[in-house]
Amino acid sequence: MIEAFEAFVGVNFWTMIFAWCNLLVLYLFLRKILFKPVKNMIDSRQKEIDDMYAEAEKNRGDAAVMKADYEEKLNRANEESEEILKKAVRRAQLREEEILHDANDKAARVIKRAEEQIELEKKRMVNEIKNEVSEMAIDIAGAVIERDVSREEHEALIDEFIRTMGN
Amino acid sequence: MDISVNGPKIYFEIPIFGGIRITQTTVSLFAVTVILMILGYCLTRNLKKRPGKVQVVVEKLVTMLYNLVEDTMGKHNLVFAPYIGTLFLCSIVGTLIGMTQIFRSTTADLSVTLAWALVTSVMVWYHNIKNFGVKTWLKGFTEPIVVMTPMNIVSEIAQPISMAFRHFGNVAGGSVLTSLIYGALAALTSFVFSWLPEAAAAVFPPIFQVGIPAFLSIYFDLFSGFVQALVFSLLTMVYVGSACPPPAERPKKEKSK
Repeated sequence: MIEAFEAFVGVNFWTMIFAWCNLLVLYLFLRKILFKPVKNMIDSRQKEIDDMYAEAEKNRGDAAVMKADYEEKLNRANEESEEILKKAVRRAQLREEEILHDANDKAARVIKRAEEQIELEKKRMVNEIKNEVSEMAIDIAGAVIERDVSREEHEALIDEFIRTMGN
Repeated sequence: MDISVNGPKIYFEIPIFGGIRITQTTVSLFAVTVILMILGYCLTRNLKKRPGKVQVVVEKLVTMLYNLVEDTMGKHNLVFAPYIGTLFLCSIVGTLIGMTQIFRSTTADLSVTLAWALVTSVMVWYHNIKNFGVKTWLKGFTEPIVVMTPMNIVSEIAQPISMAFRHFGNVAGGSVLTSLIYGALAALTSFVFSWLPEAAAAVFPPIFQVGIPAFLSIYFDLFSGFVQALVFSLLTMVYVGSACPPPAERPKKEKSK
């Protein structure tokens, strides 16, 4: 077979057709299998990353809101507990005063009663002594004068005597 | 010592439609398609949300492509990114496949680069008519003054031709230069060892051809191939992008039908 060559600088229409066909086939093939899938993959990954960042940003905002909320609640709880404590202290103080007051009252009453009793006893004693003394006086007087003085005289005498003694 | 600069070798001709010639370029075109399909399939076989090493690199490259398209054409034109990517890959793999010495670079054939450039032009025309209307588009040729019309038409036709020749010329020129240098190095070898008896010199290997062309290849194949692929894609982006302005800037279509 003789070696034949195309012109070095020449155009062969059929070669052009082959070039077009190959270019078209390659274009369709590479677009379907290489460019589109890879581009989609890159885009979907980019989208996923963007979504993740947006999500994280949103979560951070939520967390900040929640934190503020919790802090407010905590503050309120502190205030409440202080309030409760204060109330309890005040009540305790009231109670204390009440108890003290009661105790004082009771003590005063006891003392008063004791004093009354003492007074009563004293009176009773005085009366008893008075009687005894009067009897003794009568006895002594009887023994001294050895004679009966009339009852009325006696009584008058003794009463006078006791009066002077009581002073 | 012969240095021949040939076009792509014709393997055979299918005797229909006035003869379909199957050349080195045709074979290379299919090879590029198969290579890119296998690569594309293997690299994206199991995409995951948490990427592996390979996926990270692939994603990085795809992101770069989309960023480049967005910067050059605007956010509303991201639909074109897969085509730009395909064009870039076809171009660079088509150029680099020539380094295997099994296949000839597809882009060292004017037919291929012209085909691609015409795709760009058709896209530009289509989008111009779609976005501005036929009348506005045709009127655009008479601007800024009517006298400029022939020149505007010439520049419109020159656009795909210049794109095609730029890419073709760079790659083909690189390969021509490389084969010239190979020839020169072979000549240098036989010159340096010319004191050897003729029989020995004939079988003596051209040792200067080892290593030295590799450095040139870095420029002519790798660098030039990359730059040309980038330039071709960038030009396509710019041309098509200017035919597809952001929706807000689009003039209302004139009722031309």
